[in-house]
Amino acid sequence: MYPTLLDLAIFGYIAATGLSLAYLVQREEWLHRLASVATIAGWVLHAVSLLALAVRLGRPPLGSLSEAVSVAVWVAVLWALWVERQYGVKVLGAFVLPVVLVFGINSTTTRPLAIPGIERALGGAWIWVHIGLVLLGIAAFVLNFAGALMYVLQERQLKAKRPGKLYYRLPDLETLDRLTYRTLALGFPFLTTGLILGVLWAGRAWGSVFAYDPLALLSFVAWVIYAGTLAGRAAAGWRGRRAAYFAIIGFATLVLTLGAGLFLPGRHGS
Amino acid sequence: MTLFVAGLSHKNAPVELREQLAVEEDKLRELLRDVAATGAVQETLILSTCNRVEVYGVAEAPGEARAVVFRHLCRHRGLSHASIEPLLYTHVDDDAVRHAFRVAASLDSMLIGEPQILGQVKDAFALAQACETVGPALHTLFTQAFAVGKRVRSETEIARHAVSVSFAAVELAKKIFAGLGGRAVLLVGAGKMGELAARHLVEHGAFPIYVANRTWQRAQEMARALSGAAVPFAELEAALAGVDIVITSTGAPEPVVTRAMVQRVMHGRRARPLFFIDIAVPRDVEGSVNTLDAVYCYDIDDLKQVVEANIRERLREAQRAEALVEREVAKFLARRGDVEVIPTIVSLRERLEEIRVGEVRKALARLPGATAETRETIEMLSSAIVKKILHAPINKLRESSRAGSSRSWLELVHELFGLGRR
Repeated sequence: MYPTLLDLAIFGYIAATGLSLAYLVQREEWLHRLASVATIAGWVLHAVSLLALAVRLGRPPLGSLSEAVSVAVWVAVLWALWVERQYGVKVLGAFVLPVVLVFGINSTTTRPLAIPGIERALGGAWIWVHIGLVLLGIAAFVLNFAGALMYVLQERQLKAKRPGKLYYRLPDLETLDRLTYRTLALGFPFLTTGLILGVLWAGRAWGSVFAYDPLALLSFVAWVIYAGTLAGRAAAGWRGRRAAYFAIIGFATLVLTLGAGLFLPGRHGS
Repeated sequence: MTLFVAGLSHKNAPVELREQLAVEEDKLRELLRDVAATGAVQETLILSTCNRVEVYGVAEAPGEARAVVFRHLCRHRGLSHASIEPLLYTHVDDDAVRHAFRVAASLDSMLIGEPQILGQVKDAFALAQACETVGPALHTLFTQAFAVGKRVRSETEIARHAVSVSFAAVELAKKIFAGLGGRAVLLVGAGKMGELAARHLVEHGAFPIYVANRTWQRAQEMARALSGAAVPFAELEAALAGVDIVITSTGAPEPVVTRAMVQRVMHGRRARPLFFIDIAVPRDVEGSVNTLDAVYCYDIDDLKQVVEANIRERLREAQRAEALVEREVAKFLARRGDVEVIPTIVSLRERLEEIRVGEVRKALARLPGATAETRETIEMLSSAIVKKILHAPINKLRESSRAGSSRSWLELVHELFGLGRR
């Protein structure tokens, strides 16, 4: 049941991505409405598939990295829907959904394996808290990345003084800057708490904090980048372009982190 | 009866002629009454703006009606009818509907998307209504044209994106800042253009306004005019530090705002954006400030370039608007067509039903011993035959009305079934 429903959800996200990109190029309201419908449909199917998986496994669907990424995608879509309404950024889908799609497809192709003893390995309630918090952080950083990307594109148009199609479609710089700042402020506490729990747990279960796990190492690099951006924002008043570049670099590191977890041997692997 | 529009517009007639033909309201009223009195038109409406003079109407012979109207118009203005005759265009039926919709949607305007035309069409309609020259045909046409005009305005962006330099500056500011409410503006120099741009910003909520000018008195005057405050020209740099938008329009031969100055100012602003609108020639702001982080500097040529891009964007939107109008025209014609053929369909049905009922009664009179079952069968049989016979002609009528060729078919049906005069 899990793959079928998830495949349908992914199909919904594919349709939503196509429609959102079309809406970015062609200002037809019906494209936007259809994209919203497809996104919501995909999200609901995704929710049901996660629920079905949880029931089948008898535990939260966070036991492997691909499961966790799937949940992160699900949260990111929910937040994207909310942010779109909150900020009135109708083109947001075109920047969030492609990312969602890449992660979503990855989480289906690397199917969760029934590793014997996984329950025991993951024993203790707070490992779920670790995973849950980290993925809430990741979901916020998906939006952070989308906001930053839109900022960089719009800023480039304004500096170049040659208004192109995107100039007309993207919102103003200040709104985009606020969006990246708030998503950073939202995601960072989740990531931080999640990582601290991970460190404590790893120290006890593995006997070492990093234990040569590539994902753990890279995630700290990402954390440092986000921490630096946040500090720069708060203390030195960084905003605009610099903050946007850091958001993009931070997210790239995060993607690398997850990629390392999915494809390199390590303790986080599926 | 044919729906038509005839006239001339900025597309084919020079402005000297258009301004001579433009009619003021009183004359228009007189003209409408005169034309109606000739009996050449059944309904009529005259649209007279500086870009077009057009008569919309319903007439047996549109060509004749057109001649009557423009002969009257020429007499009013002392022009020879022969001189304008070759410039006149005429659209009938579908084309007239399309033309009315395109005019109301501002797609036929000199500046596509300009907002005045819809109001002008509404005024012309109100005037014609007051003169009682509007009948059902023009009434449905124009009510629909207003709806189409409104839809095009709200669903496409043909009326968006500034086509003047000062409005383009306001729109740029709105792409940098989230709304202009409470943004501080500094106006450097007291030129007319600068004042105009500052006013546009104020209209969008910008506040407070500071004015710096080499002549202190002139700065004070301008500050008063804009409900702002004058700042000494020598303290320009200090003033820059506290504002969001700077408009410069001095007559200075050298830049008054240098890159070094802006660099120092930006140091204390924590990347808070600063937007320069430099409309002075020669330029007042060193162009290289644009490369500084969070500084945006547009000179007059840049603004003109933005305006050109805006116009191109409007034209792109106009293509979407044309498609929308086309759909509306088709819808309108389908509806109108049905309205045209429905009375005939109804009388055709009534006529055949009358015959059927009469014949059934006669048949039943000859069958006194008929059972209820037999009666029912005869009823059903006759109904079925009538229905089958009617099927083809009714479909044909509906089709022909949609294809716009209902008139000959209507006549044919009337003749064939003896439905009497329409």
